[in-house]
Amino acid sequence: MSEALQISNLHKRFGGLIAVRDVSFSLAPGEVVGLLGPNGSGKTTVMNMISGALPCDGGTIRLGQTDITKMKPHRVAKQGVARTFQLVRPLPTLTVGENVLLSLAFGHRRHWGREARELVEEKLAFVGLAGRGDEQVSNLTYIDQKRMEMARALASEPELLLLDEWLAGLNPSELKIGIDLVQHLQGQGMTVLLVEHIMEAVRALCSRCIVMSAGEVIAEGPSAEVLAQPAVIKAYLGDDHA
Amino acid sequence: MLEHVVNGLVLGGTYALVAMGLTIQYGIARIMNLSFGDTIIAACFGTYVLFSTLQINPILALAVVVPLGYAASLLIYRVIMKPLVDRAPSDGALEVDSILVTFGLLFAIQGVLLIFFGGGYTSYSFLNTPVNVLGTAVAGNRLLALGLSLVIAAVLVLVLYRSRWGMMLRAVALAPQSAPLFGIDTDRAARTAFAIGGALAATGGVVVSMFQTFTATGGVVFTMKALIVVILGGKGSVPGAIVAGLLLGLVETFVAAYVDPGLTLAAVYTVFLVLLLVRPNGLFGKA
Amino acid sequence: MTMKPSIAFPVAAAVLAVLAAAPLFIPDYWTGVLLGMTGYVTLATAWALFSGPTRYVSLATVAFFGVGAYVVAVLNEALPYPLVLLSAAGIGMILALAVGLSTLRLAGVYFVIFTFGLAELVRQTVSWWEVNITYTMGRYVFLPFEGRHIYWQLLALAAVTLLISWAIGRSRLGLALKAIGDDEVVAAHAGIDVTRVKLLLFVISATLITLVGAIQAPRWTYIEPSIVFNPTVSFMTLIMALLGGPMRLWGPALGAIPLFLLFEWLSVSFPDHFSIILGLLFILIVFVMPQGVLAKIDDIRKGGRA
Ligand SMILES: Nc1ncnc2c1ncn2[C@@H]1O[C@H](COP(=O)(O)OP(=O)(O)OP(=O)(O)O)[C@@H](O)[C@H]1O
Ligand SMILES: [Mg+2]
Repeated sequence: MSEALQISNLHKRFGGLIAVRDVSFSLAPGEVVGLLGPNGSGKTTVMNMISGALPCDGGTIRLGQTDITKMKPHRVAKQGVARTFQLVRPLPTLTVGENVLLSLAFGHRRHWGREARELVEEKLAFVGLAGRGDEQVSNLTYIDQKRMEMARALASEPELLLLDEWLAGLNPSELKIGIDLVQHLQGQGMTVLLVEHIMEAVRALCSRCIVMSAGEVIAEGPSAEVLAQPAVIKAYLGDDHA
Repeated sequence: MLEHVVNGLVLGGTYALVAMGLTIQYGIARIMNLSFGDTIIAACFGTYVLFSTLQINPILALAVVVPLGYAASLLIYRVIMKPLVDRAPSDGALEVDSILVTFGLLFAIQGVLLIFFGGGYTSYSFLNTPVNVLGTAVAGNRLLALGLSLVIAAVLVLVLYRSRWGMMLRAVALAPQSAPLFGIDTDRAARTAFAIGGALAATGGVVVSMFQTFTATGGVVFTMKALIVVILGGKGSVPGAIVAGLLLGLVETFVAAYVDPGLTLAAVYTVFLVLLLVRPNGLFGKA
Repeated sequence: MTMKPSIAFPVAAAVLAVLAAAPLFIPDYWTGVLLGMTGYVTLATAWALFSGPTRYVSLATVAFFGVGAYVVAVLNEALPYPLVLLSAAGIGMILALAVGLSTLRLAGVYFVIFTFGLAELVRQTVSWWEVNITYTMGRYVFLPFEGRHIYWQLLALAAVTLLISWAIGRSRLGLALKAIGDDEVVAAHAGIDVTRVKLLLFVISATLITLVGAIQAPRWTYIEPSIVFNPTVSFMTLIMALLGGPMRLWGPALGAIPLFLLFEWLSVSFPDHFSIILGLLFILIVFVMPQGVLAKIDDIRKGGRA
């Protein structure tokens, strides 16, 4: 059966720095996979290459049967890939509802008019922002901005969702809500690639993990096994703990 | 052929000189100054007045016009730019504000020049005797212009790359956020940089006026060329400005000689576009 | 604007009818003033169509305006008038496409710089063409139009421009533009082809500006490059749109009306000092917007919605 996302031999350098070196992995449809690694290991860079924000210096990215390696971000989005950003990026001059409407109007499936307004409300309700579509983004709390960004990503009805530390910076009760939300998506059969530092979330959500360090994949497999490997612990915590 | 190379270098030398001024203003003071060319033109007219009414020779005029350019720019920075810098929430906002304000300034300076000198072409004759250079005759004033440009550019490069003070300015250009952490007064650096830029514009004006005709409305073209040189050279790069300036001068002279003098600006634009598409960060810009 | 379309449209139509009837009742001088004002209302609105939401400050208004006027000067005896206008629009469109394709994928500041010199470039190139290829310098426009005929055409163009601006504001395209102005990266990831949207808007805006120049051309009778490529036109358009607020449908128009009257009075009373006053006035306008022009745009936008 075909993979939802297949990445082979991905390469990226910034000047002298090799940020991503020969990275390959794949996601089966409906799978929620964690992409882990210490700070600066190249996780966001991989996300950026998948979503088309950065050009690849080598390797290929396939979404189902389609080669999206060289596609610009808007075309990748139309192929059914949606993402959130490591630092939330709300559009300040749009209302909460318009932020979400944007990906409905231009995303994977295009909606406009009354039908789009209903869908906006539906997405907002799903992330827990029911009835707040007319508010200014600047009035939202941090978690609500994160929720809105999730609603914006979901509004394009993606086939693949890229979450870059979407759960970071939440307090314990918010974290619980966030994990529930992703689990809900999992229940709906969404394929998710999840960059995360919070182990509690990784254990709860990801059946499988890929661990990167200094631009390379150093471990891959079922979460419990991978997280127990000495190489992974060493990459995260340094030599002393190995 | 050789004649055109020499003339191209003369023109290019002045472009490099004024572009250094603009790149310092933009790179360090973060002001995109659209009235830069009008400062040059004002200096041209200043030199012209000194020469034709007081018989002061343009080289001596430097001693009057350049400090004036420095002082005027300092004043403009204090009165107009500083409030904009203080209130700008981001670099992008400052860029837009400074573009708009200096666009206004351009019209104001031009208006003043038009009142005093009218809209016609002006020039004066100074050192117009041919000098033999490698078998071709070149006007003495052009050679002098080239010499002056090179000397001043060399002094500036030395100051920027060898002195403590130059290092401070470069630090602000490279890392405006962290420079204050090292005890650098960024406000003072910006003010000084803007004023030095003005002084260089004035120098350029004096030099240009020795061998070219000028009009009160000619500032736009100078600004444009200086901007193009800055972008081609890489924002904030002084060596880049020098190379790009010389290149532009040569391109312009050759187009004027072998294609048509009326198409020089078009040629400059073409070079600009092609290089921008091939190397978006300029010849010497960092990726 | 907060008015409902069901009220706003009849009101706008009534105002339009009154304005159209005006030349029949007022002296020719005032028709001339109305004409100039309508020209600038259209220019400022068309300018803001692109530059307002994208924040790409275009300084090239007069490049397109001048091209429009010049095309009419060249073709007015060769083709029937509607075809002349059509040609002008087409040439303006092609020029805008060329400029947009080469600069809009780059950072905004390159676009500003490029447009800054564009009018001068076009002026020099047209002059060169006339001197070397066609051996003419200066042309005559012989069209049987009086002031009010030109005024009526401009009024129609102004109405169309406002209508386009209104329609874009309500459309998917309008949403895309606002998003691009906020954050291009997010806009692109939402599925918007950012370069194409910018290009489309720039071309629409530039074509309208070209048409203003084309329609106004018969006013001059005699046309040469230095007349129609006068940089003051770019400058005034910019001030008007900024003063009125480039993010609102009626903003540029509301900025254009008082400033046009002021400029008209200034240019008559202080012909020699016009340029200085214009420059200082402009600096003042940038200054009275205390959080910067961008923030002012945002304020107006939030104020307008709340
Ligand atoms: N646009 C860029 N230009 C230059 N270097 C970059 C760029 N983006 C990332 N890098 C560098 O590439 C490396 C990988 O960065 P990346 O953001 O992918 O790490 P990460 O795994 O997401 O880290 P974190 O957990 O901190 O988010 C880092 O050394 C970073 O400094
Ligand atoms: Mg990251």
